[in-house]
Amino acid sequence: MVERVRRVREDQAAGPDTAELMRRVARGDEAAFEQIYDLLIGPVYGAVRRIVRDPAQSEEVAQEVMVELWRTAARYSPERGSVLTFAMTLAHRRAVDRVRSAQAAADREDHVGRREASRPFDEVAEQVTARFEQEQVRRCLQTLTELQRESVVLAYYGGRTYKEVGELLETPLGTIKTRLRDGLIRLRDCLGVVG
Amino acid sequence: MNPNMNADVHALTGAYVLDAVSPDERMVFERHLGDCDACRQEVTELRETASRLGAAVAEPPPPRLKASVMAQIRDTRQLPPEAPVVPLRRDRSPWALRLSAAAAVVLLVVSGVLGVLLVQARQSDEPTDAQAAAIAEIVRAGDARVVNQADADTGRMTALMSRSADKMLLLTGDLKAAPSGHDYQAWTIGSKIESAGLIQPDDGKAALEVSGIDAAQAVGITIEPAGGSDQPTSDPILTFEVT
Repeated sequence: MVERVRRVREDQAAGPDTAELMRRVARGDEAAFEQIYDLLIGPVYGAVRRIVRDPAQSEEVAQEVMVELWRTAARYSPERGSVLTFAMTLAHRRAVDRVRSAQAAADREDHVGRREASRPFDEVAEQVTARFEQEQVRRCLQTLTELQRESVVLAYYGGRTYKEVGELLETPLGTIKTRLRDGLIRLRDCLGVVG
Repeated sequence: MNPNMNADVHALTGAYVLDAVSPDERMVFERHLGDCDACRQEVTELRETASRLGAAVAEPPPPRLKASVMAQIRDTRQLPPEAPVVPLRRDRSPWALRLSAAAAVVLLVVSGVLGVLLVQARQSDEPTDAQAAAIAEIVRAGDARVVNQADADTGRMTALMSRSADKMLLLTGDLKAAPSGHDYQAWTIGSKIESAGLIQPDDGKAALEVSGIDAAQAVGITIEPAGGSDQPTSDPILTFEVT
């Protein structure tokens, strides 16, 4: 299984061997880190910006993520996933922590009702999908049911907890949990992550 | 764990991978992951999938970011590779010995608990809202207990716990700084040993909320390489028995 995952990953990420670069980064090689930076900063910054929204804060979070990548390079293990996934997992967690911090939470409480009222989900989804640079991801998102897609998009790009997703979509929490998992599984199969 | 609850935890895979769970749920799920090979495999694959969602909205940051990241890494110490894990067998490890020797267990009524807490809270400066909420929850549970422990080299620490609330709050006002390049890390010790987080004293003061103590026999504190370890690499300096 791991072999298959890795093979697909290498096909998709033709280019420098990022796992080997990470081994060099772990030994303090700044030139290798610079290559890692160039390869990953677009996805990292793009995802953070999508979730955090404020450009200055997004820049701060992206910097934290890249420095954390440097700091923890020795803990990276190729068996547990690609370098891209390692970085994106870190980026999503940090971005979500940022928007859920006390101040942000207060702001969001204020705005959640109005914002959702004035910006129906379709509009949000359209903005997201319109910007997709990878046709494959966009195509695969379309294979999800509407509820799966709405749930996954609100959780990933909106940084929402599944409880918030449940409230926004007026759907029971058990259903949302299931749709998040089903939705990701369908995406995984469509994207060929499992080969 | 009954089968329904297990199914319930398992269903969280998607929400977990999307960081859409609460901190408590994350902890419960990560504990479940330790027992479930299929779940770990699923998490690996779904993480890979989620990362594609992120990569699909890639955009270039302002060019100045690179210089500022490169400058910061030059001043940032890297973590060593994960330290070898000391195998801990509860039946004969020093942890077990210390557990049975755990001393000075003080049982207090609720008013007494509050008194200690006020003192502790003052020592740790103002408790945060989260700490205040944890304190309230533990005290309200009715089976709240306070245990003090001291280590000559480290300082004193107080644990406020409630098994029925499934929470322990560790508070300290005079914890010595961890040795250079190290952090204090708390662990729940049961059939498995799980990290409960780092304790990073500021001027000796620190507080850490530990959830999921119900399945644990004790909460132990070790000194670990900076940033913490996946499993303890040394014997605990302080141990609080969960009773």
